[in-house]
Amino acid sequence: MQSQSSSTISEATEESLHYESGTRFKDEVFAEDGTIKPFWENLLGSLQSLGALSMEDRANKARRILRDDGATYNIYDEQQSPSHTWALDLVPSLISSEEWGTIEGGLLERSELFNLLLKDIYGQRHLMRQGVIPPEVLYAHRGFLRACHGLQVPGEHQLILQAVDLIRGDDGNMCALTDRTQCPSGAGYALENRTVMSRVFPSLFRSSQVHRLAGFFQQLRSKLIALSPNQDQPRVVVLTPGAHNETYFEHAYFANYLGFHLVQSGDLVVRNGYVWMKALDGLSRVDVILRRVDDLFCDPVELRSDSQLGVPNLLEVARAGRVVIANPLGSGILENPIFLKYLPGIAKELLGRELRLQSVATYWCGDAEDLKYVLANLPSLVIKPIYRSHGKISTCGRDLTAKQLQELKARILADPMQYVGQPIVEAGYLPTFSNGELIPRPSILRSFAVAGSGSYSIMPGGLTRVGGTEDAFIISNQLGAQSKDTWIISSEPMAAEGAAGGVDTAIAPVREADLISLPSRVVENLFWMGRYAERAEATLRLLRTVFVMLNSEEPISPDCQRLLLETLTETTVTHPGFINATEELINDPEPELLRILNDVALSGSVRSTLNAMLFCADASQELLSSDTTRVINDIRDALSSLDDLVSTDLFSAPEEAIDPLVTALMALSGLAHESMIRDFGWRFIDIGRRLERAHQTTSLIKCLVVPERPEADQNVLLESLLLSVEALISYRRRYRARMGVQSTLDLVMMDTSNPRSLLHQLEQLSAHIRKLPRVQETKHELPPEERATLHAETLIKLSLLTELSSRNDGERQVLLQTLDNLHLSLATISDLLSDKYFDHREVSQQLVSNTWENL
Amino acid sequence: MRYRIKHITEYRYSDRVSHCYNLAHMIPRTTLRQKCLKSDVDVQPMSAYATRRQDYFGNMAFHFEIQRPHKKLIISATSEVNTGPQRSNLNLDFGITCAQARELMKKAKDFETLQAREYQLESPMIRASSELQEFAAPSFADDRPLLSAVMDLTRRIFKEFSYEPQSTTIATPLHEVLESRKGVCQDFAHLQIGCLRSLGFAAKYVSGYIETLPPPGKEKLVGTDATHAWISVYSPTEGWFEFDPTNECLAGEQHIITAWGRDFFDVTPLKGVIFGGGQTPTLNVSVDVARLAD
Repeated sequence: MQSQSSSTISEATEESLHYESGTRFKDEVFAEDGTIKPFWENLLGSLQSLGALSMEDRANKARRILRDDGATYNIYDEQQSPSHTWALDLVPSLISSEEWGTIEGGLLERSELFNLLLKDIYGQRHLMRQGVIPPEVLYAHRGFLRACHGLQVPGEHQLILQAVDLIRGDDGNMCALTDRTQCPSGAGYALENRTVMSRVFPSLFRSSQVHRLAGFFQQLRSKLIALSPNQDQPRVVVLTPGAHNETYFEHAYFANYLGFHLVQSGDLVVRNGYVWMKALDGLSRVDVILRRVDDLFCDPVELRSDSQLGVPNLLEVARAGRVVIANPLGSGILENPIFLKYLPGIAKELLGRELRLQSVATYWCGDAEDLKYVLANLPSLVIKPIYRSHGKISTCGRDLTAKQLQELKARILADPMQYVGQPIVEAGYLPTFSNGELIPRPSILRSFAVAGSGSYSIMPGGLTRVGGTEDAFIISNQLGAQSKDTWIISSEPMAAEGAAGGVDTAIAPVREADLISLPSRVVENLFWMGRYAERAEATLRLLRTVFVMLNSEEPISPDCQRLLLETLTETTVTHPGFINATEELINDPEPELLRILNDVALSGSVRSTLNAMLFCADASQELLSSDTTRVINDIRDALSSLDDLVSTDLFSAPEEAIDPLVTALMALSGLAHESMIRDFGWRFIDIGRRLERAHQTTSLIKCLVVPERPEADQNVLLESLLLSVEALISYRRRYRARMGVQSTLDLVMMDTSNPRSLLHQLEQLSAHIRKLPRVQETKHELPPEERATLHAETLIKLSLLTELSSRNDGERQVLLQTLDNLHLSLATISDLLSDKYFDHREVSQQLVSNTWENL
Repeated sequence: MRYRIKHITEYRYSDRVSHCYNLAHMIPRTTLRQKCLKSDVDVQPMSAYATRRQDYFGNMAFHFEIQRPHKKLIISATSEVNTGPQRSNLNLDFGITCAQARELMKKAKDFETLQAREYQLESPMIRASSELQEFAAPSFADDRPLLSAVMDLTRRIFKEFSYEPQSTTIATPLHEVLESRKGVCQDFAHLQIGCLRSLGFAAKYVSGYIETLPPPGKEKLVGTDATHAWISVYSPTEGWFEFDPTNECLAGEQHIITAWGRDFFDVTPLKGVIFGGGQTPTLNVSVDVARLAD
């Protein structure tokens, strides 16, 4: 695994960068006679004059941009730290436009063929009838979905998107290795790579005359829109399995770039034969789904019934043509590598000619002759299961011991139809920057095709990946490879396609109506993001106050100390904590304070609250600006360094642990305020914040002001309250040094010029709630959530400071009553909003439960 | 023979179900020896949306979606069919041998045989195994006519396995059935299919109903019939033949076909997704097969 998080500059020297031909490789840079290919000269020359140190600088810059853009790739099996920054190597892969012309032609032909193949498989099955392919090629593959028989997408093209992995073949031509036809990933990463490269090497990029990518995405966007059965303002959504998917970044990036909504299964529902998105303003019809969920998981009624990633009855809606899914369900069958064996015959049958683009030789163990060959040549072959699924990976014969080879043999013989063998193709090597040097790494290119109105369009370039080691044979992101931008070098200057600067730019603005139609789930996440951020901030401030008071040079009374600590437990709801605690704990509170700060398992601790906040932020990533992502990253960083900081003496310098977090959280709220569009997403973040702040302040006043205490102690408690709500300085400016209950309550409860006062929160809440979408009603009666807010607002407005501060039996009972009522109102507001605007998904279950689908 | 079939399925839930999506295989298909004359499916509470279509296997699939809250779901399928015997004067002791059949399965190029190869392979609920092969092999001597061998296997399953209604569930795996030597019609059908596939033959699962006759002199009680399952085996050049291992016979006029597929999974009478509903629902199925005047 390459460590991408370290930003330390390695021991790069000011030496110039050379790339030398490795003799045992096919190298992309060098021609057969050992000279550098002309189109590489410019690039290598530029890198050489740049030098290693400067390259390292730019690599760091690239990492920073990727991280700020939220570009991650989640690696399965690493639950602890799920997000890894996408790994981009700064040396692009170059392909001359002359060679690209050949590759592109081959890819176009291949996509046309796969399209016809898909039609035949779920239609006439002419190929099987004619004996071009044995029936088992379909019947024995789990991607052949019988439920999809007869399914049709409008237009000529059934296959909308195709990705093909290409590798430099032994004859020197590019050769197809694998096809991805369900929901191919990588195009978004390719675009992100391009964006980063054009920022890190602006002049090199401009002078290199690189073919642009924007056209491909425009094509994709217009194709998806054209697929809609409903021509009037079609709604296209991108369906993702969720934030834990390995390529979630790309799903969010795609959705944003193309201007479509990113949805998860729970955001969609089938009703009356159509698919709908559950949005803030009700249900909106969905016409086209670009899916990033695998075939089998898309509909628990007809496909895998245990899937939580699908939409019940989706397939039946698609069958009726009322929603179009791209790629259509069932297209996973085309990923069957057995087709590669029969491709020449298929091409002759369907296209009337042979394919120009060769595929890697493929031996199918379901064929008696092939099986014999495979078993006799295991050490020189790669053995692949015909159906790709988690845990089923390709095996390279030469890496196996004699015993492992025997086991592999037994596995194949137990179910020969499920395996193919392919010769190991030595990949073409590309210069890759590592530790101040350019070193050769094996490479593979993923190309992308999208259907157009007439024929397919091929992305000029694609996603190049290089192996993590010199002799890596399987290059997969799951195994720690790096990626590269792919430059098709034009012999003539490129006409500017995007903005003048040459960066590929985003396409069309989002429709007005789409701003309202945020999926309810997203809105809910934003609401909780606001609440959690505020909750963490409040706890941090209170912790800081407690440290200040406990460490103050004039010791506070034991009673005061106990009350302050109890307040911490009360406001964080981390009972029992300091409530009724022993003298020892009160006198030595550090372990419990540490828990409240940093215990991930303690619900209510700063760490667990921030984790929850980060989870909500990840799940609504597509709506956050890159500035926001950067601040979120800062919070992540501050959190991860917390462990180190608190392992030393927390008491001696608590601010070192707390302050960076407070600052980052304030930056987050500042950003929301200053740079978020005032749409409903922003409103819900702010509603969450306001509600939480009102709730926290109410709790603080209740704990610190309601109990009657001798004046000296009372002053300490009032000061603590003011300090915690960031009002001590204003207080002192206004009232000099004298502490008083009435003036404190005035400032923290009623003074609307204090942005942290209770009344200010409630006024802001009212303003937000009045602007939320609502059902048009003829009656003049206020909606319940507005009534509840008004009620809370009025509670404070009608209170009298003399009554609030009056004492009775050791308590300020009127104050207590008022605060309790406030708490109740705040909870009511939260519940009402949640009922009205958030998604309340019931748990679904299968009518007939079964366990046999894992075949 | 003409029949009217009433198939009533009732689910009761402990908690409210807010909405649900279902797929039913309850409408009899039309086959070479059977014609579905009419069919009607009534769903309570009323469905918001319902469609019927012919599926991949040629069966009638019925989809429905209920959007109103309910604690009870009743599906009543009523159909009328005309059935006939499989083939007149069928003699099991003639026809191609097991060895020939096996050879033809590999070599024949006609579309029917190519399609039949789908039923030679493993399916969601049925996997070939050496145990199944061992159990079946004695019936399948190379020079024995295939259909006679299949009949022998049918007879052996009937003799060696006991029919015990509560002994298995739909989730009981095949090897357990083989070990315990008991089960219901569905298990026996799966078992026989597993045996045939283990030997390289193609076999499919047939689901439907069987008319039960009252003891002599008694009147037939309503609702005593049940859903039934049997198998169909493919003999190259001869076609498909239905055998019923639960009753030790070839399927005949009294066997009414609803649907067929690779196994139970493809033809589950009712499946779907419900939202809410609480713990395991209780299920009640009643079937009534009434003979009508022609």
